Formats: sequence, C-alpha cells, structure tokens
Amino acid sequence: MSTVATASDPTRHFFQPVIVCLTVASVALTLFVIWISLHDLSLMRAGREKFIGLDNYLRFLGDPRAMAALWRTVLFTTLATVIEIALGLAVVLFLDRDFAMKRLVRTLLLVPIIMTPVVVGLTWRFLFDPATGMANYLLSLVGIAQVDWLGSPRIALFAVLIADIWQWTPFVILLVMAALESAPTDPLNAARVDGAREWQVTWYVLLPMLRRALAIVALIRAIDSIKAFDLFYIMTRGGPALSTETLNYYGYIVAFTNFDISYSLAVAIILTIFTNVALLTMYSVLFPKTGDR
Amino acid sequence: MAQLSIRSVSKSYGAVQVLDDVSVEVEEGSFVVLLGPSGCGKSTLLHAIAGLNPIDSGTIVIGDRNVTKLPARDRDVAMVFQSYALYPTMTVAQNIAFPLKMRGLDRRTSDEKVAGVARLLQIEPLMSRLPRELSGGQRQRVAIGRALVRDPRLFLFDEPLSNLDAALRTELRAEIKRLHQSIRRTMVYVTHDQTEALTLADKIVVLKAGKIEQTGTPLSLYDDPDNAFVAGFIGTPRMNFLKATVADDGKALLAGEARVDITHLATRLENGRAVTLGIRPEHLDEKDGVTLSLSVDVTEHLGSTSYVHGALASGESVVAERREDQPGFGETITLRFQSTRARVFDGEGSRIR
Ligand SMILES: Nc1ncnc2c1ncn2[C@@H]1O[C@H](COP(=O)(O)OP(=O)(O)OP(=O)(O)O)[C@@H](O)[C@H]1O
Ligand SMILES: [Mg+2]
Repeated sequence: MSTVATASDPTRHFFQPVIVCLTVASVALTLFVIWISLHDLSLMRAGREKFIGLDNYLRFLGDPRAMAALWRTVLFTTLATVIEIALGLAVVLFLDRDFAMKRLVRTLLLVPIIMTPVVVGLTWRFLFDPATGMANYLLSLVGIAQVDWLGSPRIALFAVLIADIWQWTPFVILLVMAALESAPTDPLNAARVDGAREWQVTWYVLLPMLRRALAIVALIRAIDSIKAFDLFYIMTRGGPALSTETLNYYGYIVAFTNFDISYSLAVAIILTIFTNVALLTMYSVLFPKTGDR
Repeated sequence: MAQLSIRSVSKSYGAVQVLDDVSVEVEEGSFVVLLGPSGCGKSTLLHAIAGLNPIDSGTIVIGDRNVTKLPARDRDVAMVFQSYALYPTMTVAQNIAFPLKMRGLDRRTSDEKVAGVARLLQIEPLMSRLPRELSGGQRQRVAIGRALVRDPRLFLFDEPLSNLDAALRTELRAEIKRLHQSIRRTMVYVTHDQTEALTLADKIVVLKAGKIEQTGTPLSLYDDPDNAFVAGFIGTPRMNFLKATVADDGKALLAGEARVDITHLATRLENGRAVTLGIRPEHLDEKDGVTLSLSVDVTEHLGSTSYVHGALASGESVVAERREDQPGFGETITLRFQSTRARVFDGEGSRIR
C-alpha cells in the first residue's frame, strides 16, 4: 500500500493519521516508561521520587533473583518452543495427509487452544495433585514413585512446561498441518521416483518446503512463552521457593507486591530488549537475506 | 523383447473405474505415446508404471522384473511430471544432482554428469538459481535434465509440454525427439495433443475412459482406425462422419444424395443397414470420384491451404480441405472423394472392414 501511495494518492488521508496516532502513542508510552524507570518511583514513598539515572538497571545486574528469573525464562522459552515444534511436527508427519477422522481430530485439537489459561491451569493443578491427581495415579500404574509435581522446586517448572506443551502443541499441529496440505505433493513423488527412501523424502524435500511455516510458528511460540504469565500465576505463583519465577512474573511481583514501580518498569524494558535481540537473532537465522537457501 | 509390459492393469477410485483392463507392450528403445482426452486415465497409468499409486489388479513388468509390488525407488524409472515437480528449495544444480545423491554417487562423478546434462539442455547459466527464478520452459528443461542425468531403464513423460507456448512447445518437442534418437532409451510419453503424438511416436496407445481403444503406429491409426473414436481423435481437422444406408446393390446411400461404392469391404452388408461413413477433410478435394455439394459457411485460410466449413443438403456439417480456390459464405461448391478413402463404421462406432 505505502509503496504505491504517492503524495497525490487521496487514500493517504485515511491511513496516514492512523499511522501517526499509533506511532505517537507507542513512542510516547515507551519514552514515558523509560523516563519513569530512570527514577525511584515507589508507591511506598509516594511523592518523594527523584531522578537516579541508570541505577535501576545496575541494580538488575546485581539482583540474583532477577538473574535467576531471566535464566528461567530462557530455559522455559527454549524448552517450550523446541518441544512444541518437534512434537507438533512429529504428530503431523505421523498423521500424514489423509486419514479417516481428520476433521474430528482437527476439531478436538482446537479445544486446548480455546480453553482459557485459568481453566487449563486449574485442570493441571488437579492432575498434578500429589495425593489425588491423575498424574501420580498413572505413574503408580507403571510402578514409579509419587512425584510432588508442583511442590518440588526441581520439578515445578517442568510441570508448568507440561501444561504449556499440552495447551500449545495443538496450535503447532494445526498450522503445520495447514502448511503440509498446501504444499505440492508432486515433488515428494518425484523424490520417490528419483530413488529417495521415505525418510529422505521427508528430510530433503518435505521439511525444507515446510521450513517457513515452522519458523513462523516457532517465532509465535517463542514470543508467547517469553510473555507466559497466566499458567504460572494459576499453577505455582512463582513458587515453590521462587523455582518457577520467570522474569515476566518477577516484574509483576516487583510492581504489585513490592510497589517498586520504577524497578518493575526497568525489568520490563530489559525483558523487551532481551526479547527483541533474541527474536531478531532467531529471525535472521530462520529467514536468511539470500532467500530460501 | 518388450522392455515394459503392462498386463491387464485395472484401477478404480471408489466407484470410478479409471483404468479398465489395460495391456500395453513397449519394445526396447521405442517411443510410445499415451493419447486420449482429458480425464481418460493417462496420468493414472503413468503413475502406476512409476509405482506412485497402487493398482487394483494386473501386472507391470519392466525389463525382466515384475515390479508390480515394488516401491517407486526400486523401479529404476525416471519421470518428468506434468507440473515439473522441481524441488522448490534446491538450486537447479541440486535438483539435477538429487537422483545421483540418492544413489550414493560420489561428488566428482555426480558433478561431471550434471555438467554434461546442463550442456545438453543449454541450462548452464541457470545452475545456481532456484526453480521459482526460472521461466516455464527453463523449468521444463531442468525437469527433463533431472530425468536424463540418471540413465534409467525407462523414461516417463507426463504431458511435459502442456504449459508452454506454441513456439517453445514445437522447439522442445523437436528436442525430445532428437534426444530419443541419440540415446535410444525406452520412453513413454503422455499427451492429449495429437500433433505431439503423431510427430514423436513409434507407437500410439489411444485411451478413452480407462480403456484402450487402439494401439498402433501413427500411420495405422490415421489410415486404418478400429473405431469412430480413434478416427475422430486422430487428425486435424476432425474426420467427417456422414450417415448412410446400404442399398440393394451393396453401395452406401449418403442421405439421399450420393452413392458410395463400398463393395470392396470384406464384410457383406445387408440391404437397408444404417452405417456411418468417415471421410477426412484432406480427402475431399480430389479431381474425380463421388461428388457432394456443400454450401459454404466459413473458410479458414491457413496460407498454403484452406479449410471450408459448410453443410450438405442433408444438413450434416462437413469440413473440407481446399487447395485451389477459397469459396466464401453462401457459395455452393462440389467436393469429390475416392470411395476407397471412406471408412465405414457401424451403429456402435466399430469399424466395418
Ligand atoms: N485421487 C483421485 N481420486 C479420485 N479420482 C481421481 C483421482 N485421481 C484421478 N482421478 C480420476 O481419474 C480419472 C483419470 O485421471 P487422470 O489424471 O489419469 O487423467 P488424465 O488422462 O491424465 O487427464 P489429463 O489429460 O487432464 O491430465 C479422472 O476422471 C479423475 O477424475
Ligand atoms: Mg494427466
């Protein structure tokens, strides 16, 4: 649109004000947030804030709880994205193109995506209940000892991860399935005639054709995982012993438990910068400038 | 010895019988064309030969191996797909080298072979491009190159020229013909374009609704068709079909107008029998013979010759070639043909010889 819209194009009167408003709003908000993060605004000492420069950012670097939260965010995002993509892709390849109850399966896949995180979180909390939950019951069937899913600092993060995987792998499946269906089948047949085994057809021909779709799904999932909040809030509230506190959640605690608004906004900005750098790196790896190669 | 034997192959998709008891023998080194209207099962047959979709019954033998149950990769055939089916994420060079890579050929030999094919098809400047950066004709040549690089037992072409413009089509048709003459490999070629079939084939198999109508050399299909479908399908413009009744002297009476001597036929036709005479447009411009008068609707000028479209007194429409003059709308002209040129068909369209 903007490339064809010249100065004489009357439609600019409609889209230019919108663009201007959006730009002004986001720039102003960002600047305002940065401005506050350079102060020591706290609701505990309302009216006595002063300019403190980059102190909040330096405080972040020296804050072990924040660094641990950052590390947890990285771990959670990486695991969630990688596992969801790998699992989703595996399911799609296994189900392949046509099978009898495809429509039914597709409808069922929508259920976890549509469910609100509150319901998902509560459901998994019940499932992970050490005494009455389904998870431990299933483990007992195969003779594995009881696990304190949400009560053990070493396991809780992975319990949330399981819930996240359960909720979002279907999303990956749906998108990859759609990409697979719109991919041409003749190149696959050509590869078979050319002497490729089925795994070679998948590896050399099918997966490269799906790469773009996979990259986009991975980006979406990575962004969502970094920002994940609701599952953590419902299932663990960052506990036990801070073992599931991600940076996003930590920012929330700083703002709404400690009322340390400026520091919380500094955390938010660091998270934003971190996210952008990570995603831009990911983007340039997944979509090289040279095109599809 | 036949290089490819297709024996009583049948295939159906649900209730639709797509291939119905198809049998074809293809000699070593020959060029066989599968010809037929859209949807008659040509691609299905080719995919069955390649092993890309299973057949319900019948046997396919390539060389001396029964390959009916073998997967595509073990059949040692190369195929050029109707849609080109290039690997979209690989460069031209990688596309052509792919079959060699799958066969575990070492890099040096592979590179040499790919370069050789590129030279033959004149696609050397394109080697590092992706398929989507190529024109249709270039993609076509890459697809052919990917097949040629392999030196398989059998080449399968599925309407390889259907998406090209007329000039490129003629050029590539000649290129394929030249190729076949130089490498002398067995080729099975699918088309619904009968000019392609007539110019390329040693043998043509005419299919209709999954059944073989006739198999033979281009000349025998043109001259000696087994039925009205083949007679009408081969040759442009189409053969004229005229209703006739057998008279008491054994001659055919053309809608009350002319008498055509068909007593040379081996079959004796009883008096009053309804038949159809087939006469090609190019045989209606003789010096003498049976005469018909045609009132002209349209004349198409093709340079060296023209085709006259019009109607006989009986109302049957006829196309006739005209070499000398170019009659205009409303004129009445006289057509002459040799009665031995007329092909006789019965009510079901089967040939009476
Ligand atoms: N996967 C399928 N499911 C159901 N019917 C099919 C399928 N593939 C092909 N057919 C049917 O089989 C018939 C033969 O198809 P085929 O592709 O072999 O035709 P064709 O002779 O190659 O036609 P064209 O000249 O248009 O390419 C058609 O009637 C088609 O509708
Ligand atoms: Mg076809």
